[in-house]
Amino acid sequence: MLSVTNLSITYKNTQVLNDFNLSLKHGDILALLGDSGSGKSSALRFIAGLDTVTSGSIELDGKALSSNGSHLIPAESRGVGMVFQDYALFPHMNIEKNISFGLVAQPKVKQRARVTELLALIGLEGIEKKYPHQLSGGEQQRVALARALAPAPNLLLLDEPFSSLDKNHRDQLVLQVRSILKKAQVTSILVTHDETEADSFADVVGIINNKQLTFK
Amino acid sequence: MLKEKCIKSKIWISFIALLVAMPIFVVAFSWAMPEHELWAHFSENILSGLISSTLVLLLGVGVGVMLLGTVLAYLVVMVEFPGGKWLEWALFLPFAIPAYVLAFVYLGVFDYSGYAQVWMREALDLPGFDVRAGSWAIILTFVLVFYPYVYMMTRASFKRQKLNMIEAGRLLGASPLRVFFQVSLPLARPAVAAGVLVTLMETLADFGVVSLFNYDTFTTAIYSAWGDFRSIEVAAQLASLLVLVAFLLIYFEKKSRGQAKYYSSDVTNKKPYQATGLTAWLISLFVFGVFMLSFAMPMLQLVIWGWSSVADEWSAKYFDLIASTSILTISAALITVMLATFLALPSQCKKASIWLKSVIRLATLGYALPGSVMAVGLLYGINQISIINIHFGGESINHIIYGSITLLLFAYVSRFMAIAYSSIEASAQQIKPVFTQSARLLGASRLRLIWQVYLPMMTPGILAGGLLVAVDVMKELPATYLLRPFGWDTLAIQTYELSAEGLYERAAVPALIMVVFGALLMAVFQYLDKKSSRTS
Repeated sequence: MLSVTNLSITYKNTQVLNDFNLSLKHGDILALLGDSGSGKSSALRFIAGLDTVTSGSIELDGKALSSNGSHLIPAESRGVGMVFQDYALFPHMNIEKNISFGLVAQPKVKQRARVTELLALIGLEGIEKKYPHQLSGGEQQRVALARALAPAPNLLLLDEPFSSLDKNHRDQLVLQVRSILKKAQVTSILVTHDETEADSFADVVGIINNKQLTFK
Repeated sequence: MLKEKCIKSKIWISFIALLVAMPIFVVAFSWAMPEHELWAHFSENILSGLISSTLVLLLGVGVGVMLLGTVLAYLVVMVEFPGGKWLEWALFLPFAIPAYVLAFVYLGVFDYSGYAQVWMREALDLPGFDVRAGSWAIILTFVLVFYPYVYMMTRASFKRQKLNMIEAGRLLGASPLRVFFQVSLPLARPAVAAGVLVTLMETLADFGVVSLFNYDTFTTAIYSAWGDFRSIEVAAQLASLLVLVAFLLIYFEKKSRGQAKYYSSDVTNKKPYQATGLTAWLISLFVFGVFMLSFAMPMLQLVIWGWSSVADEWSAKYFDLIASTSILTISAALITVMLATFLALPSQCKKASIWLKSVIRLATLGYALPGSVMAVGLLYGINQISIINIHFGGESINHIIYGSITLLLFAYVSRFMAIAYSSIEASAQQIKPVFTQSARLLGASRLRLIWQVYLPMMTPGILAGGLLVAVDVMKELPATYLLRPFGWDTLAIQTYELSAEGLYERAAVPALIMVVFGALLMAVFQYLDKKSSRTS
C-alpha cells in the first residue's frame, strides 16, 4: 500500500501543489491528470526519490521512504520502478542487457529466465540480441516497461510514457500496458495530460487543478 | 560554363592547399635521398631508445590524462559538491599557460636546488632526488598540463547524456559506481578517446617540456640531428617517422569521433547525485587540489618570481621581443586567415569535387604535426632546391632563405591552418544555398556575392579563427626555435632559453607577458563567441 501525505511543491517561489494526499491499495492503477507545470511530474519524481520538495511524506508497504520533503531511503534502494517519457533505454546495451540491468544480484540463469518471461509478457519474444535503435517507438516503450518490471517493483511510476507515440499506436498500447500491469499486480501511477488516456488506463483518476488534487 | 570556371578555381585551391601541405610531402620525400652513414648511426645507437622512451611517455601521459580528465569531468557534471560550479570553469584555465611554462615552474620548485627539495632535505631530512631521472616527473607534468583536453571533451559528452538514462539506472537499483562504469562511461567513451588522442598528438609535438626535462623523444632527436649534426636529411627522415605516428593518431581520433552518436541535444544543469558530509568535502578537496596544482600555484609562483626579478630582467630588449612577437603573430594570423577564408568560401565547384575536398583535408593536417617537422620540411625543401640549382650551374639559395622571416611564417601557416580553417568553415556552413541563389537571381557577380554576402556572414568565424591562430603562434616554440631569423627572438624563445639555463625566476618575466597577452586574446575570443551565439 502506498500513502503520500501533506505533499507541497514550490517552484521558484511559486507554490504549484498544496497539501497533496494520496493512498493506493496494492495493485491499484492511478492516473494523475494536470496541465504542464501543475507539479504532477515533480510529485512523481519525489515519490521516485529523484527530487526533493518543500514538504511531504511517503510510505510504501509500511516502510517510510521520505519524510518532511527529504528522502530517508535513496532512489537506488526504494524498489520503485519508473518508465520515462523518452524510454531512456541504454543505447549501448542490447535488449537482454537492458532488461536484466536491475537483476544484477541474481544468478545469470535466473536473469535469462526472467528476461524471457518479461518479453513474453510484453509480446516481443526473441528480440534479446537487438539494440534499442532497431526497434519502433512502441516496441521501445514496451521494453522500457519490461525493464522497469523486471526487479518486481512494489510501485511503478509512468511519466507520460505514451506521449511520443502516434494516436493509433497509443490507444492500443495503453490497453496493452494496462493489462500487463494488471496481470503483474503492480501498484502504478501514470502521469498524463490526456483525459481519454487516463480514463482507459486507470482504476482511479486524480486531477490536479488549482494546486489541489481531486478525484474523478 | 560551370566546368570552365571550376578549372580555374580548382587550380587556385589546389595550388594554395598543396603549398600549405608542402612540408608534409617534403619530409616523406626525404627517404628518396637518404643520408646513409649518419642515419645508420642514428638508427643503430639512438632510434630504439628513442622509440621506447617516446612510447613510455605516450603511455604514461595517455593513461594519466584519461583517468584525471574523465574523473574530473564526471564529478563536475554529475555530482553536486561545494565549489563545484566555479571549479567546473576553473579547470579550463591551464589552457591559458603554455606547457613549457608550467614545466619550468614545476622544475624551478622541485629541482634539486628548488625550495621544495631544499625544504624536504633540511626540514624533513629526506634524501635529495633528481626530478629529471626516469620518466615519472615529466609524465606527471604532461598530465597536469594536458588533462583539460580530456576534461573538455568528456565534460561536453557527459553534459549531453540524458539525465533520464542515469535516473533509470538508479531506479533499477544500481550504485553510483555501477552507473558510472556501465552507463555514463560507455556512453562517453568516444569523447574520452578523442581527448586522449589529441593529448597524445600534443605530447608527441612538444619540444619545450621534453627538452627542459632532458627527456629524449623524436622532437629532441630531430633538433639534435639538425642542430648538432647539421644533417637536414636525417632530421627529415626522423620527422617522417613522426608524421607516420601522427597520421595514425589522426586516423584513430576521426574514427572515435565518428562513433559519438549517443548524444541528446538537451543540456541540463541538474546533477543526478548530491554528495553530502565527508564525501562532499573530499571531492571538493580533490578537484580543488588539481586546480591548485595545475593552475593557481604555478601562476602564483610565476607572479612571485616575476615580481622579484623584473628589475634585473626587464630592459629595452623587451620592446624588441614584444615587437617581434607581435609582428610574427599578427602577420601569421592574417596570412593564415586569408588563405583559410579562400579555401572555405562556399563554392559549387568544391561541393562537386572529391579532389578539392581531399587537397583541403591535406592542407589542414598540419595541426597534428610538430612544429619541428614543419621547420625541417621547409629547410629540407629549400636545400633540395639549392642542390638542383647548383646542379644546373646556379647558386645555392640557402643563405637567402634560411633564417628569413618568410620561412618562419610559412611554417606557422602550415602548422595552424587547420585551426583557422575549421573555425571559418563552420561559419561558411551556415550560409544556406538560398542566399547564394537569391543573390545570383538579383544579378550579383561572384565577386559581389563573396564581398557582400559571404564575407560579412563569415566574419565571426574569421575573427575567431584569427584569434585562435594568434594565441598559438604567440607561444609556438619548436618551429620558431629552428627557423627564426637572427635578431627575431620572441617571448616564447626568451622564456625557453632562460629556463633552459635554469634561470627560472627571470624566465617568469617573459612568460607572464605571454600569459597576459594570451588571456587578453582569449577574452576577446570569448566575447565574440558569446556575441555571435546571441545573434545567430
